[in-house]
Amino acid sequence: MAEGKLITPDLNFVKKIVNSGGESLKKCYQCATCSVVCNVTPDDKPFPRKEMIHAQWGLKDKLFANPDIWLCHQCSDCTAFCPRGAKPGEVLGAIRKLSIENYSFPSFLGKMVGDSKFLIFLLALPVVLFGVVAPYVAQLIPQQYLEGSTRPGNLFQAMSSSEPIVYAERLMPVPIIDTIFGLAALFAVFGFFTGIMRYWKDLSAVNGKPKGSILNAITATIAEFLAHKKFKKCDVTVDRSKSHLFVFYGFVGLAITTTWAIFYLYGLQRPSPYPLYDPMKILGNASAIGLLLGISWVISNRLKNAPKAGIGSYYDWLFISVVLTIVVTGILSELLRLLGVAILAYPVYFIHLVAIFFLFAYAPFSKMAHMVYRTTALVFAKSTGRDKEIA
Amino acid sequence: MADEKTVTPESGTILVVGGGISGITTALEAAEVGYEVFIVEKNPYLGGRVAQLNKYFPKLCPPTCGLEINFQRIKKNNLVKWFTMTEVEKISGGPGNYDVALKQSPRYVNNNCTCCGKCAEACDVEVSNTFNFGMDKRKSAYLPHEMAFPQRYVLDPSIIGTATAQKCKDACPYKAIDLDDKPKTFNIKVASIVWATGWNPYDATKMTNLSFGKVQNLITNMMMERLAAVNGPTNGKIVRPSDGKVVNNIAFVQCAGSRDENHLPFCSYICCLASLKQTTYIREANPESKATIYYIDLRTPGRYEKFYNKVKADGNVSFLKGKVAKIEEDPATKDVIVTVEDTLSGKKIQARHEMVVLATGMEPSTAQVKVPGNAKYDDNSFVISEEILATGCVKKPSDVMSSGQTATGTALKAIQMVRR
Repeated sequence: MAEGKLITPDLNFVKKIVNSGGESLKKCYQCATCSVVCNVTPDDKPFPRKEMIHAQWGLKDKLFANPDIWLCHQCSDCTAFCPRGAKPGEVLGAIRKLSIENYSFPSFLGKMVGDSKFLIFLLALPVVLFGVVAPYVAQLIPQQYLEGSTRPGNLFQAMSSSEPIVYAERLMPVPIIDTIFGLAALFAVFGFFTGIMRYWKDLSAVNGKPKGSILNAITATIAEFLAHKKFKKCDVTVDRSKSHLFVFYGFVGLAITTTWAIFYLYGLQRPSPYPLYDPMKILGNASAIGLLLGISWVISNRLKNAPKAGIGSYYDWLFISVVLTIVVTGILSELLRLLGVAILAYPVYFIHLVAIFFLFAYAPFSKMAHMVYRTTALVFAKSTGRDKEIA
Repeated sequence: MADEKTVTPESGTILVVGGGISGITTALEAAEVGYEVFIVEKNPYLGGRVAQLNKYFPKLCPPTCGLEINFQRIKKNNLVKWFTMTEVEKISGGPGNYDVALKQSPRYVNNNCTCCGKCAEACDVEVSNTFNFGMDKRKSAYLPHEMAFPQRYVLDPSIIGTATAQKCKDACPYKAIDLDDKPKTFNIKVASIVWATGWNPYDATKMTNLSFGKVQNLITNMMMERLAAVNGPTNGKIVRPSDGKVVNNIAFVQCAGSRDENHLPFCSYICCLASLKQTTYIREANPESKATIYYIDLRTPGRYEKFYNKVKADGNVSFLKGKVAKIEEDPATKDVIVTVEDTLSGKKIQARHEMVVLATGMEPSTAQVKVPGNAKYDDNSFVISEEILATGCVKKPSDVMSSGQTATGTALKAIQMVRR
């Protein structure tokens, strides 16, 4: 007889998975169809069959400290072929969400982002910041530093103004925007940094320290991301390799645009708005259109694949909604500004700011964090030989 | 004791639809206590799926044995009337008073037939042999199988009107072939109806990941029965369809489309035992052979556990816990490569076998052809109605033994309906 092993299941954790989009978890009867149809799993200790039993038993630590949950790209081939409707793809998605919540700092924010009943509070913060705090602070700016006739920060004044639309002059002065977003970004970086440090510590404690070169692992991971190699191995949701690629490069383009704009503003001292033929502007607009196409494609793919792959969780849809809001309000802000429709332009721009704040400040807790945790897990998995190069 | 000469005590006849082991049993049990019974069978022979088996549980007898006894009982009992090649078109009325429209397809061979086989010799057209699941061909003038009851040839309707049909007719020394035979429709009045139309093997091509139909040496469990049967396409030699090579290394894939929400969500009860039984076919035929059973969990209800232990004691039969979810063919050797996770060791492996058998489940025949009357079904198309009675595998997946038991019980229910 093999020696018995005493398992202490964390029932609360099981409940959390069930409430985070993994409601089908308990249907699994361990046939291992999933591990066989998965095209991205290693052959030794393949996923997601073992994750399903670990999840059913509430073995939280085994799941979190295992880079496999991030090697999974939720192709949903497992979900489509699952004979029990246990949806391993969705269960692993729920585990990833809980992993983000577990490692991110401060963790109460992780819980809030993952739970729809806190949405109103999360939204209230940027609304109050931009709607109340910013106008109040703007009142304190001495008149000689202001260019226009109206004081910035007042949404209603701006909406009724007949002056040309300049968001930075009439609604949100650049120093205020930069202060708020600068702090939000710092907060996010801090949250990510803390989370990653904890995560790496757990990974190394359970799986042993990486043996190979971390630098090579990072290069390989980035190369894989740039080409979306793993997504291309999916069968059921293979079109995601393209839609996600659009979103990915849309974000990359917008990140470059933002850096470029900072350089214009602080390096060259050129205030916005910039003409449409400016190369920075061209890149920004192109990226925005790419992102819009990408996120719409993501939504349509999700709806199309839902019967086979599952519809996804609140956590997924919150992130998709935020990205969609940002890109739609961003494009509309620009169009309405060019058309001079003040009454619509300013409120739309206001929503745009709120959504961007949401994305930035809550990035370490939202699905946005998958970017950072997946990268970390893949770097770790590659440096320990768990994730082999795939053709 | 009741007087043996008692005829039907109350006016009323029982109709049994389906002449397999269940239908025959219900019919005989009712007839032998004095009720008039009609058996309607769509095939040109009685015996159903059991007739296609090589051996069946619990005693691993060949079906000729069990069926032969029942055919004798039918022959001896005037109260049993049976129609082959006949289907029910419409049922009207209700319990105690049914009016049933039947349609009999032409056999083109009358009861002068002595099974001399001259027509088949003369026949120059071959078609796929459905009795052997298309693994060989048969003449268009044919006896469905060696032990067919009734022992009478059939002409395939596809040759009617051709010169071939005429050749068959000319070859018959007994004037048994009637090319002018026409479909007949007629009505019967019965008091109760028992639906016993059985099951069909689940269509294995529906499991796209298992590549059935694309991999030559991948067969189903029912095909394996025919391969092992002495009256089968290979006279009982278990050889590969691709090259006729004797199989030394075979594998069985359990739950192929069973217990699967995408296919048959239920367990077909007997497939695990069928595979265990089939390992004995190959192990007895070839002492060098090896067999592997891939399973989710082996289900050996009741006394069948003993049989499982017997097979397990054979060192050349191995068991691997994990569902095969991918099957490919090695184009060079035509070997079959299965991918499975050995869930006990946590390794995803690819294993090579000379031939692989899919343990496909039982789909109730009513999944395809409904009762042409007032019947109720469960979510999986099994008949559950109380008025039109059901028995055997059209009611619930069963083995031959429990089919016999429940069919006997159903005879009582049918009688109760007649006497009500």
